[in-house]
Amino acid sequence: MDVTGTVTVRDAFDRVSKKQKLYHSVTQDVIDLVCDGIQDTLTRIQLGNDDGVEPESVLTELRRKLDALLPIIQLQKSHKETKWSLSKLVKLLEVSYHPDISLACFSVDFDINLVNKILIHHCYREGLFDVGDCLVKEAGREEETEVRSQFLEFHQIVDSLKLRNIEPAMRWIFANRGKLKQKSSKLEFKLLSLKYCDILREGKSDDALEYARTHFTQYPLHFKEIQKLITCLLWIGNFEKSPYAEIVSLSCWDKVTKELIMEYHHLLDQPINSPLKVALSAGYESLPSLLKLVHLMALTKQEWQAMKQLPVPLELGNEYKFHSAFVCPVSRDQSSEENPPMQLPCGHVISKQSMMRLSKNCAFRTFKCPYCPAETLASACRQLYF
Amino acid sequence: MEIDSATNGNSDAVMTESSATITSSPVVVPASRSNQFTESLKLEHQLLRVPFEHYKKTIRTNHRSFEKEVSTVVNGVGELADSDWSKDVTVSRLTSLVTRLQGLKRKLEEGSNVENLQAQRCRARIDHLDSVDVENITEWNNTKLKRILVDYMLRMSYFETATKLSESSNILDLVDIDIFREAKKVIDALKNREVASALAWCADNKTRLKKSKSKFEFQLRLQEFIELVRVDTAESYQKAIQYARKHLASWGATHMNELQHVLATLAFKSTTECLKYKVLFEPQQWDVLVDQFKKEFCKLYGMTMEPLLNIYLQAGLSALKTPYPSNSIKFDVFNCLFSASENKVAESNFSKRHPNVIFTGGLRLYLDMSQIWF
Repeated sequence: MDVTGTVTVRDAFDRVSKKQKLYHSVTQDVIDLVCDGIQDTLTRIQLGNDDGVEPESVLTELRRKLDALLPIIQLQKSHKETKWSLSKLVKLLEVSYHPDISLACFSVDFDINLVNKILIHHCYREGLFDVGDCLVKEAGREEETEVRSQFLEFHQIVDSLKLRNIEPAMRWIFANRGKLKQKSSKLEFKLLSLKYCDILREGKSDDALEYARTHFTQYPLHFKEIQKLITCLLWIGNFEKSPYAEIVSLSCWDKVTKELIMEYHHLLDQPINSPLKVALSAGYESLPSLLKLVHLMALTKQEWQAMKQLPVPLELGNEYKFHSAFVCPVSRDQSSEENPPMQLPCGHVISKQSMMRLSKNCAFRTFKCPYCPAETLASACRQLYF
Repeated sequence: MEIDSATNGNSDAVMTESSATITSSPVVVPASRSNQFTESLKLEHQLLRVPFEHYKKTIRTNHRSFEKEVSTVVNGVGELADSDWSKDVTVSRLTSLVTRLQGLKRKLEEGSNVENLQAQRCRARIDHLDSVDVENITEWNNTKLKRILVDYMLRMSYFETATKLSESSNILDLVDIDIFREAKKVIDALKNREVASALAWCADNKTRLKKSKSKFEFQLRLQEFIELVRVDTAESYQKAIQYARKHLASWGATHMNELQHVLATLAFKSTTECLKYKVLFEPQQWDVLVDQFKKEFCKLYGMTMEPLLNIYLQAGLSALKTPYPSNSIKFDVFNCLFSASENKVAESNFSKRHPNVIFTGGLRLYLDMSQIWF
C-alpha cells in the first residue's frame, strides 16, 4: 500500500498545527505584554502624584513603547507563517488528490424517488432499521413495510443463529416448507443436526440420543447423515480423533448460516448482496479509469458529455462478472434474445444470425462450420442456453 | 481472489468467517491490488479538503478578531496620551482597556480550543486514509459506503437520518454535518426571500469570493433592489435608488451590463408584461440564487457539486456489464420508471462489442441486479 501520499499531507498538516500552536503562544505573550504595560502605567499614574510625574508623560511613554512593538503585536510574522504553510497544504492536496471527481459525471437527472427507495431498501437490508425508518420519514416516502418486515425477520434469524438458537430459523422454515421442498432444501435437517452436535460436544450422550429419537425420525430421506450422526456417539469426548471431527465442529454453524442466507434470499427473489453495495464497489474500481479517460479526452478536445459510448471497456475484477457472455467469433456480435448462440453438431458455437447467413437462410442447404470442415444443416443446430 | 470472494458473500450479518478467510490466507498482494488502493485513495479530495478549509477559516476569523481588538486597545492608549483627561478618567479608561484585553485572552483560548478540535478532525481523516490495508479493505469500503450515503443525505437535507447513520457507524469525524447545517440556514433564508444571512456569509468569506471573482454578492444585492422596486410606492423607489447608490454602484465597473438591465426595472414596474423585465420579478429568481449559493459554497470548501453517490453510482453502473433483463415483466417496470427518450439512449448504448452502458437511465441496472443470483 502506498503510504507516501498521506505521509506528505500529514507532514504538511503537522507543520501547520505546529505553526498555529506557536502563533497561539505568541498571542498570549503579546496580550500579556500589552496588559502588563498598561497595568504598569496605571499603577504609576495612581501613585504618580507623589512623585510629581505627569500622567501624560507616562502615557506617552507607554504609547511609544507599544508603537515600537506594533509589528510584533500585529503578529504579522507568526500569522504569515501559518498562512504560508496552510496554502502549501492546500496545494499539496490538489496535487496528491484528484481535485474534482465529478468530472466523470454525465449530466443525468436522477429520479430522486427511485434513489431514495434504493437507499431505504439498502438500509433495511443491512439491518439499519432505525436509519431506514428515519429516511422514510424525512424523504416523505410511503413506508416499505413488506421489505422491512422481510429483512427484520432475516436479521432476527441470523442474529439468533449467531447465538446458536435455531428457533426463529425453524419457524421460518415451517412457514415456507412447500417452497423449500421444491428446491429440495436440506436446511431443516441441517439445523436440527447442528443442535444435536452441540449436545454431543457437551458430552451428554443420553440427551443426544433422546434428541435424535424425537427429531430425526421425521427425516427418513436423510438416513445417511443420521447414520453418521448417531455413530458420532461412540466418540463422545474424543471427536478430534474420530472420522467425524468435521461434522461435529463449530464451523458447521457458519456453513449452515451461509446456506440459510442464500436460501432466504432466493425465496424472496432478492440478490444476496445489496445491489447498491455492488454498484458502488464497482464505482470505486472504475472511477479512476474513467477520470483518466476524461483527462485524455480533454487533451484531444473531445466532449465528454456528448459521448454516446465508452470507447474502452472498463475492467473490473472477477467478482463483478455475473453473466456469461457469448461473443460470436464470426460476426463479433454479442449474443442476445434475438440472436442466441447456436451449437453445431460438430460442437462449435456461433450466433444464430451468422448461422443463417452461412446457410443462406435455407433449412436444407448445407454449410461448412467456420472452425472445422464438417458440413451441417441449419436444422441440425441447437440453441445453447447458459 | 480470496479477498474479494469474501466481499461477495459479506453482509453485515455474516460475521467472523469472512475476516477469518482473509487473515488466514497469505498476504501476497499483487501489484495491481495495491495500485488500486492508491488510485481509489486519490479520489478522496473532498474528505480532506473540507475540514482543512474549515480549519483555515477558523484560524483566519480568530486572527482577525484578535487584530481588531489589539489595535483598538493600542489606539485607545494613543488617544489617551493625546487627549487631556483628568487622572480619574484616564485611570478608568486604562482599567477598561485591561479588562478588554483579559476578555480577549479568554476568547482566544476558546478559539484555540475550537481550532484544536478541528485539527483533531483533520488528523482523524488523515489517519483513516492511512489505515486502509489489504486486511481491512472490506471494512474500509463499508465505511466508505456509509460516508457516501451520509454525504447524499446531507445534501438532500435529511439531517436526522445522516446523524443517526453517522452515530451508529462511528463516522462522525469523517462527515461534515455541521458545515451542511450552516449552508442550510442560508438556503432556508433565501427560500424565505431574505438575503440577510447570505450577505453575512459573503462578508465572512469576502477574500475567498473575491479571489474567485464571484459575483454572488452582486446578485444578492440586485435581488434586494428588485424587491424594493416591487413594492411600487414612491417611497420604495427612493429607497431603491439610495440602495443602488450605496451597494450596486461599486459593481458597475465589472458588471455594467447586468447593472443597467436591472436598474431599468425602475422604469418598467413589477407588473410589466415586457418579457425581458418580467423574468426578473419571477419568484424563480430566488431559486437561481439558491443554486448559485450552493455552487459557491461547494467551490469554497472543495466539495463536488454532485453528491458522491451519483458520481460513484454512475461510474459503477457504466462499468458493470449485464444484459437486459430477459424477463419481460421487469422490462415493463423499467419502462415506466424512465422516460421514453432515456430508454432509447440506453438501448442504443447497449450494444455489441463493448457492452458498457453509459449511465443514462442506468438505474435500470438496479432492477437487473435483483435478477442476479450470485
